[in-house]
Amino acid sequence: MFDLEALFLSLKLAIWTLVLILPFGIWVAHSLRHLVKGKSWIEAGLALPLVLPPTVLGYYLLVGLGGKSIFGIPLVFSFAGILIASLIVNLPFAIQPIQRAFEAINPEILEAAQVSGLSNWQIFRLIELPLAWRGITSAAVLTFAHTLGEFGVVLMVGGAIPGETKTVSIAIYDKVQSFDTTGAGALSLILLSISLIAIALSYGIFGRSSSRQRGGRA
Amino acid sequence: MLKIKILQATPNPLQIDIECAPGELHALVGPSGSGKTSVLRTIAGLSQPHIGKIACGEHVWFEANELEGVTKSLSPAERSCGFLFQQYALFPHLTALENVCIPLQNSGMNVAKRKEIAIGWLNRMGIDELANRLPHQLSGGQQQRVALARALVKKPNALLLDEPFSAIDVPTRQGLYQILAELRGDLNIPIILVTHDLREADLLADRITVIDQGIGLQTAEPHVLFQKPRNSRVAELVGIGNKFEGVFSSGKLSWNDSNHVFEVVDKGKIPPKTPVAWVIPADGLSLHPYATANTIEAKVEHISTLGQIAVVQLRTLEGKHAISWEASAAELRRLGLELGKNTYVEIDGAKIHIMPLRTINDPRRFVDSVSKAS
Repeated sequence: MFDLEALFLSLKLAIWTLVLILPFGIWVAHSLRHLVKGKSWIEAGLALPLVLPPTVLGYYLLVGLGGKSIFGIPLVFSFAGILIASLIVNLPFAIQPIQRAFEAINPEILEAAQVSGLSNWQIFRLIELPLAWRGITSAAVLTFAHTLGEFGVVLMVGGAIPGETKTVSIAIYDKVQSFDTTGAGALSLILLSISLIAIALSYGIFGRSSSRQRGGRA
Repeated sequence: MLKIKILQATPNPLQIDIECAPGELHALVGPSGSGKTSVLRTIAGLSQPHIGKIACGEHVWFEANELEGVTKSLSPAERSCGFLFQQYALFPHLTALENVCIPLQNSGMNVAKRKEIAIGWLNRMGIDELANRLPHQLSGGQQQRVALARALVKKPNALLLDEPFSAIDVPTRQGLYQILAELRGDLNIPIILVTHDLREADLLADRITVIDQGIGLQTAEPHVLFQKPRNSRVAELVGIGNKFEGVFSSGKLSWNDSNHVFEVVDKGKIPPKTPVAWVIPADGLSLHPYATANTIEAKVEHISTLGQIAVVQLRTLEGKHAISWEASAAELRRLGLELGKNTYVEIDGAKIHIMPLRTINDPRRFVDSVSKAS
């Protein structure tokens, strides 16, 4: 009844996506804070996956990753292919909350850090990162939940190869197609539970921390 | 000695030339938006002027001229100033102790030693028992003390205070004045205080620079500033009420719209028949119940009494000039002053201070002086 293989594949994809996208998201979001020229263009580009139909994005990725692909080897219908697709699809979910969190830090606090003699790296590590951790957690939860549920792009790029590209969302679709409503229902319930736990956990953390964080702009 | 000469046209104009000796408290006073905080930020290295030189003792922190642009600019860390922000700017995720430890991060000391020094400063500020509290768990005054401890813990080269008392209540303010007064002697570093409160500047500062629209109009000791403002705008900014206009000619000052002529001190600096502004300090004014040869008749327009102090607003019959006079309630009774009644004002010509109606600030001369200093 349970397609554990699909479930584990989805979890593996979500964890890999998270591990790769969070450092990149923090770097991009932090750089955007200090960027003046061309910022709007970059922001628009990063937000594109939000509004682009998954089939359109999937089509371009299929073209880009197929054949020898831009990486020199064919990546379609492979785990690496759906991982790249997942990273691109999740860019806005990972970057925007972190960017908002960095921007919410009062500039005077960063100036206080400068006059206190901290280096840029120390300011980032000791001041900005701890103050932006709510945004980072939010980005992580959104990315994780979104990756678990991603369907269109993954199907376009990866197809439904069991153990390689058949994620839990595709497994649910397959089960519905083959009238296995019990199996589809069980997998859906698992996805729903994981998503609920992730969101509840994230909101619970935020609730407890809201009174601590007073460094944001009014 | 901290020497600051800065000039810029944009984004906000600045033309400042001040010096502050170790142990001296120098106040920058001016209305909101006059550029006081910009000066402080420039000293700390948080922003750069177009032209100028900032030096502390033998060490040049910043140097820029018209031809070469910026030739030297140390980072805020290298300048090592203690900066007290108006809204404290404590790190909200760190405890009071951790906040004070931050400037010692690169001191080479181990964590235990850093904490020991930080605790010592919190103790000196009288808040060591609050060491483990987060900033939002502290009152405004307590936060300010933590911020002051953080500014001083690394033994800064200069202390820069940006409106440090504006966000705290009056009783707490008195306590902080006391701390600042004690620290001055002990630290022996230049202290620059930005404030819009003249009384505060008068109370705390050795010297005051009046700033308006980014331009330093006058630097003087408080009593000199209040008695002898350099020009009409300074008089206005330092709140001198009895400011009038007239024409000066060889020791004689004729009051506009009046036949009254005062014999005043002529230093030979002002050409004949020059329109001038003039002020008269409180001790140069006296009121009499009867007319004498030197008195001017005036009508009592308003009397406001606050405790034992009364402020009387008078209007001269000739020229309709408004004169403000401060007196004790007892003196008010002695003179029998009442609303609508006439009285006689005597102005002591020897106490009159004459000044130009406006000062011409020539940026070119300033640029030249910066070049010479370099």
